[in-house]
Amino acid sequence: MSSKVSALDMPDVPMGQLPEHLHLQRTRVVCKADAPVHTEGIQYSGAYASIGVDNSVGVDSFCKSFKVKVVRLTKEEIEFDMIGIDASLANAFRRILIAEVPTMAIEKVLMVNNTSVVADEVLAHRLGLIPLNADPRLFEYLSENDAPNERNTIVYKLDVSCKKGSPRVTVKSDQLKWLPHGSELQMDSHDISSKAKSYTSFSCIQDSLPEFSKKPLGVKFDDIIIAKLGPGQAIELEAHAVKGIGKMHAKWSPVATAWYRMLPEIALLKEVTGADAEKLVKKCPVNVFDIEDIGNAGGKKAVVANPRTCTLCRECIRGVNEELVELRRVKDHFIFTIESTGALSPEELFIEAVKILEDKCDRVISELS
Amino acid sequence: MADDYAMMETDEDDEITQEDAWAVISAYFEEKGLVRQQLDSFDEFIQNTMQEIVDESADIEIRPESQHNPGRQSDFVETIYKISFGQIYLSRPMMTESDGETATLFPKAARLRNLTYSAPLYVDVTKRIIKKGHDCEEVAETQDFAKVFIGKVPIMLRSSYCTLYQNSEKDLTELGECPYDQGGYFIINGTEVRSMAENQNRPASSMFVRMLSRTSAKGGSSGQYIRATLPYIRADIPIIIIFRALGFVADKDILEHICYDFSDTQMMELLRPSLEEAFVIQNQQVALDYIGKRGATVGVTREKRIKYAKEILQKEMLPHVGVGEYCETKKAYYFGYIIHRLLLCAIGRRPEDDRDHYGNKRLDLAGPLLGGLFRMLFRKLTRDVRSYVQKCVDNGKDVNLQFAIKAKTITSGLKYSLATGNWGQANQAGTRAGVSQVLNRLTYASTLSHLRRLNSPIGREGKLAKPRQLHNSHWGMMCPAETPEGQACGLVKNLALMVYITVGSAAHPILEFLEEWSTENFEEISPAVIPQSTKIFVNGCWVGIHRNPDLLVKTLRQLRRQIDVNTEVGVIRDIRLKELRLYTDYGRCSRPLFIVEKQRLLIKKKDIRALQQRETPEEGWHDLVSKGFIEYIDTEEEETTMISMTINDLVNARQNPEEAYSETYTHCEIHPSLILGVCASIIPFPDHNQSPRNTYQSAMGKQAMGIYVTNYQLRMDTLAYVLYYPQKPLVTTRAMEHLHFRQLPAGINAIVAIACYSGYNQEDSVIMNQSSIDRGFFRSLFFRSYRDEEKKMGTLVKEDFGRPNRENTMGMRHGSYEKLDDDGLAPPGTRVSGEDVIIGKTSPIPQDDAQGQASRYTRRDHSTSLRHSESGMVDQVLLTTNADGLRFVKVRMRSVRIPQIGDKFSSRHGQKGTVGMTYTQEDMPWTVEGITPDIIVNPHAIPSRMTIGQLIECIMGKVAAHMGKEGDATPFTDVTVDNISKALHKCGYQMRGFETMYNGHTGRKLTAMIFLGPTYYQRLKHMVDDKIHSRGRGPVQILTRQPAEGRSRDGGLRFGEMERDCMIAHGAAHFLKERLFDQSDAYRVHVCEKCGLIAIANLKKNSFECRGCKNKTDIVQVHIPYACRARPPPLRTQTSIYEASIQKLFAVTQIVCT
Repeated sequence: MSSKVSALDMPDVPMGQLPEHLHLQRTRVVCKADAPVHTEGIQYSGAYASIGVDNSVGVDSFCKSFKVKVVRLTKEEIEFDMIGIDASLANAFRRILIAEVPTMAIEKVLMVNNTSVVADEVLAHRLGLIPLNADPRLFEYLSENDAPNERNTIVYKLDVSCKKGSPRVTVKSDQLKWLPHGSELQMDSHDISSKAKSYTSFSCIQDSLPEFSKKPLGVKFDDIIIAKLGPGQAIELEAHAVKGIGKMHAKWSPVATAWYRMLPEIALLKEVTGADAEKLVKKCPVNVFDIEDIGNAGGKKAVVANPRTCTLCRECIRGVNEELVELRRVKDHFIFTIESTGALSPEELFIEAVKILEDKCDRVISELS
Repeated sequence: MADDYAMMETDEDDEITQEDAWAVISAYFEEKGLVRQQLDSFDEFIQNTMQEIVDESADIEIRPESQHNPGRQSDFVETIYKISFGQIYLSRPMMTESDGETATLFPKAARLRNLTYSAPLYVDVTKRIIKKGHDCEEVAETQDFAKVFIGKVPIMLRSSYCTLYQNSEKDLTELGECPYDQGGYFIINGTEVRSMAENQNRPASSMFVRMLSRTSAKGGSSGQYIRATLPYIRADIPIIIIFRALGFVADKDILEHICYDFSDTQMMELLRPSLEEAFVIQNQQVALDYIGKRGATVGVTREKRIKYAKEILQKEMLPHVGVGEYCETKKAYYFGYIIHRLLLCAIGRRPEDDRDHYGNKRLDLAGPLLGGLFRMLFRKLTRDVRSYVQKCVDNGKDVNLQFAIKAKTITSGLKYSLATGNWGQANQAGTRAGVSQVLNRLTYASTLSHLRRLNSPIGREGKLAKPRQLHNSHWGMMCPAETPEGQACGLVKNLALMVYITVGSAAHPILEFLEEWSTENFEEISPAVIPQSTKIFVNGCWVGIHRNPDLLVKTLRQLRRQIDVNTEVGVIRDIRLKELRLYTDYGRCSRPLFIVEKQRLLIKKKDIRALQQRETPEEGWHDLVSKGFIEYIDTEEEETTMISMTINDLVNARQNPEEAYSETYTHCEIHPSLILGVCASIIPFPDHNQSPRNTYQSAMGKQAMGIYVTNYQLRMDTLAYVLYYPQKPLVTTRAMEHLHFRQLPAGINAIVAIACYSGYNQEDSVIMNQSSIDRGFFRSLFFRSYRDEEKKMGTLVKEDFGRPNRENTMGMRHGSYEKLDDDGLAPPGTRVSGEDVIIGKTSPIPQDDAQGQASRYTRRDHSTSLRHSESGMVDQVLLTTNADGLRFVKVRMRSVRIPQIGDKFSSRHGQKGTVGMTYTQEDMPWTVEGITPDIIVNPHAIPSRMTIGQLIECIMGKVAAHMGKEGDATPFTDVTVDNISKALHKCGYQMRGFETMYNGHTGRKLTAMIFLGPTYYQRLKHMVDDKIHSRGRGPVQILTRQPAEGRSRDGGLRFGEMERDCMIAHGAAHFLKERLFDQSDAYRVHVCEKCGLIAIANLKKNSFECRGCKNKTDIVQVHIPYACRARPPPLRTQTSIYEASIQKLFAVTQIVCT
């Protein structure tokens, strides 16, 4: 682009097609040495009307072009490519995953005895952050006026002590015991005549319910350290878990994190050969480039081998190389990663997120109509 | 040639590396800890000074005032009572309960029960009664009292008399002590108190010698006279007269003592006017009379005057040279030397002495300070004993020593001074305030730093900038960064890490040594030889001359290195002045240095190896010193040394001597980073920061939260902050190891991005990740203890803890009494808030039957309620008895402080900021790895402040996090940004720590690269919840009825002068009146128009009357500020002024009305 070309000498662009530089601008983010450019998405349908290009998004075209490719799937993590979608939508999924997909987490702790060095508040906070192995879809939210029942509350009990004269005890999350009967603690009541009430009002035993009978509502990981007890110290408490969303408190977030990055695309603007090629290959710590032999003369050429690994350290475009290499990102191709905390599998989480977005859209539509 | 050397060297003799130096430093701290100066100084006081003070007090000698007893002839002409004090004994700290049980006291108990950690002091007393018969025969009767109790001495924790002395870590933990606590402070009435080290110039001598410039214009030929001020003498005395008074009459004699070389015409010339001035006085008697006439005595005989002058010369002039008889020669030499130095300066051969040079300063630590106090109190004790015995003897009673010695004098005297900081007796002039302070327990580092702090008593108002400035001689002694800002800037100093403050040793071994090594004293020499030989001074006193100083200094140094001479003795050889000065006194700053000979360290690799493999960790350092690898160099001696900065400098000097800075290195720094103090040693890369930033951080590090001691659960501090999850920093300095910063950290490694991001971090505010906060980021606990005791009122009546009953208790608080148990205390686990009462206490009201109506109240409330702006849980309740055996309670409240908008945070580089916004994780920007920052600071905070250290810390933190290692950020090492960058790039990151990030709100890439990485952040104690305050209506002061002041009293916000000025300028008169009057202390009175006095008004009956004027009609109503009515009592009597003011008021009101 450095040499100026007269407008008259510009090559003709066929109608209904964007010129190359505009196309690049529309579909790629270019990462320059100091900062990325063209990060914005061009939304307006008539943005290129003057050139005769339609920029509108239609459901059909979207459906045709939208693709999801799972790259990696484990129990805790999923990495998939989401192709043909705008950043705003991809981001909506990400935000919903972090903040709006509900989970169960300990919200209320009834402290019976705590003689450990960990203060009550700290202990309660630690308990809250323990991921529970409970499917939030089977529960209802506990609203302010509700009484805690088997449909909205899980009760756990922790009763540990360290005998005098014995060595220190490490309390781990597996010592949290699920109480399917509900709370065992009695509320203080002033009149003796009334029957003592417990802190929950379960109408049935939770594990008699079909959805819980097979899968007990334990904790996801049983080696999380809750506290350490010295000789003679003890903790006795009951913890009530309820349903909530990450917006309220990070403990209800179903993901450790969920994020995406754009697909890297690395273009060699000129052919890089010989010693320069080797230098270029060496510069990259994540081996984006590779060397390819050309011909039989033993000549070497740099090629882009694994663009996906590029971390954008931009070492390859520093100094002289700025003319040779261009680092780009594909605007509508997202490499999405979800790290689940355990309540739901990562692929289910994404589906939940889509459902929530769907709900939201429905709500907007119903409000408008 | 150099190569040959290298070949010959075996591995054993290898030069040590800078890394090895750290083994030496570790050995130092393992043996000494961080508050050695305080402990050494206190031990010296306990072990020597105290006995010396007792010994130096003269025997008490009492003769009965002869009393005439008619009819009885006494058997003896005279009876003399003599009381003398002998050996002292100090016990371990003890505590006697009110029931008489005595037991050893442990610091934990002292702290919790508000006791004083002190040990009883006993002394052997001998009483002798000498009776003289008529025939001059003497009958002596001796009575020994062994170990008489004379008082309790507060004991410094971890000193050799402390119960914790040399306890193992395990024992300490079992005693409820923090094993990292260093001691060095006292416990007075349960509060930890440290005595400030005072820093002053040498004890100001009361003698001055001055040479004034041309005296008067009419003097003509007069020139410059030299005169001296003597103590107790009103006028300045010409120096020649003083010489004549000392017995040196001839001009030649005198000149010999001043100007050793007669060929020095320049100096001789300067003395001429002085000689001429004293021409009239040509013998000793006249000279003495001349001095005596100007003394304090008036109207006495000439003989008395001469005697008086002689005494002054003997006792008061230059007392350190000698106060005995026949010291004249010595004094004359010394006095001559003073003038000699003065003339050298006048001629311009020498510059003036530097007042700010640290060699001229002495530090008074706990030992000498307590010594002074103890001396004064012991004197008071002996004085009281004398007067008591005198009374007994005069009345012919038996002398009971147990009654005579009032132990309270010393016990309460020491306690008073340590508790209040007023050094000296109560209500007496000459006391210094603020000598002892309550130990700061906010953070471990703040405690350490507080114990190593110095105070210069020179006036804070003084405009003189010089004493506040950093002086060259502070190098390695005082921290260049750590000093407060504002009034005390530069006056309050902090010790550098490796300073040793001398405790003082006896001078006589040195004097003996000098004697042995043929030092010639004044009796043996003629003044003529002085210019050729070297003058020798011991503790500033000229003791003689020596002709072969080279050898003498060499042997002295040799002996000191073999510790045959005390290692803390300072040996200063001033070649230009031909002087050898030796110092053994206390309070000099000194520091250890490697000894260098022939450009080579004496310590070798093998010694380091031996050090690292030693079995007893305490002995290492002492061995290094006794083997002569290291010696202590004090500030004055430092001026005569050539110190290489690094070990590498020495290597380079050997390899290419032409380029070396010096060919004669004598010492080598152990490590240059040790010039910093406690707080500055926590800063990573301080050598990359602008210097004030290090000062700011040094001040802020003291406000950071962390874990201040490991036993905080067992303590009942009035205020304490503890961080939930403190972390040791990723980027550390080597000195941190010795400051236990890893074990007791005060901060968290936060992921910090430097970006604008929505603009809620402008002007030093930061954006914080709410999700991180939810997960425990910078959460902290806050503890506040309340205490109360059942006081005795009179002999029978006592206050009682208990739940006050509304039926019979007077003056009950607003707050709720629900939370109290039957014992009157809120039990642990109770949620308390607002003004809830947590300690219930009542006292009985004496029932006065005479008044007739029996009040329904029998008790008065004295309960303690929670501060109205705080809330939390009762954490712990302690119920015990205090020293008087009265019930005593402490209640600790705990609450959680979660970071919120307005809380203050800072990095370790003086970059403080408050939280301006919290964003949840989804709103935060993220990197390609999905990382969201915990904190986002604004980039504008960087360029003008030049805290490059923070940026380097950030990238080093990134590397450290990836490699799973700690980064070394010690200043003055070879770490470069380039090295770190390369390591970071190897981890697959952008070299300089930049990352591309995505916007959390829009989901698109940010059009900038963001500098992101882990940086150690501190939570500072300033939190909005402790500051937030507003008021609509509320309490008023009783006297003025104006709104109360301050948040704690729910006071109003002042509409001050400047605000008033604004409203005046604005012309908003009504608003102004509303603010200053209606909303403040509006009041309405009725005033008699005739006399101007306040009239009696009965608004119900609508009747008004002024009794004085018998006036019932001319009465007006005025609105005045209540403050105007309630005038101070002295004014109230002055009716005329009162009237006048009221009348003026009328005038004003009338004007306003019309």
